[in-house]
Amino acid sequence: MQLKIDLHSTSFDPLDVLAHWQTEQQQRGIAADAAESLFVGRVRDRASDGAALKALELEHYPGMTEQQLERLALECGKRHGVSNCLIQHRIGRVLPGEAIVLVAIGADRRGPAQRCCQELLEALKHEAPFWKREWHADGTSAWLTGNTPL
Amino acid sequence: MVSVVDMAGPWAPAIRILLFAGLREQAGWAEQHWPAAPEGDAALTPRQLWLNLKLPGDLDPRVRVAINQQFAGADTPLQPGDELAFLPPISGG
Repeated sequence: MQLKIDLHSTSFDPLDVLAHWQTEQQQRGIAADAAESLFVGRVRDRASDGAALKALELEHYPGMTEQQLERLALECGKRHGVSNCLIQHRIGRVLPGEAIVLVAIGADRRGPAQRCCQELLEALKHEAPFWKREWHADGTSAWLTGNTPL
Repeated sequence: MVSVVDMAGPWAPAIRILLFAGLREQAGWAEQHWPAAPEGDAALTPRQLWLNLKLPGDLDPRVRVAINQQFAGADTPLQPGDELAFLPPISGG
């Protein structure tokens, strides 16, 4: 399985990254997958308590986060027999509307591609060491202690 | 935010302890070093170090433990030179 993982400390355009990833594959002579599934997550403009959100801060554990993402992707990709996996994740201060995560999976069939994409997204939300802190307009902040419902 | 409780010499590498996110702010420090148990003594565990470092309350089951950047149990024996991290609830993606 081809695997590409990046952590971005500044904003990224998920569609540009996706186009670049596909161009790279073409240049390396890798045939386009028959099925691709992708997920883009963006920051909401509301905090978990409903108040206006100024920004979301994402902390990670350097080294372990990258290792965990790789391990989760390899395990999930193997389980579903997919051929390509791309994970892009923001760290640092992320503004409402900006992309926070992109997961793209290439496979021979839509079933494995879609199932792997969803499963890997859920795995990284719960098993890769990232922490979110909501910053409010009044300058206060709060660390989140869980994920939003599926 | 690095404080050193007691640096062991190079012949007995200390255990490096890391805190993250809300747990770091609650404790008021990000990193400390703690001497590993002397040879012949029972090895320290993350749960014992949590108490020794006076971290808040009992070790909450929602706080996960990583040793050398791999998830581990709270009662895993620690070796000299290990990197121990206490991880508050994860919220990625």
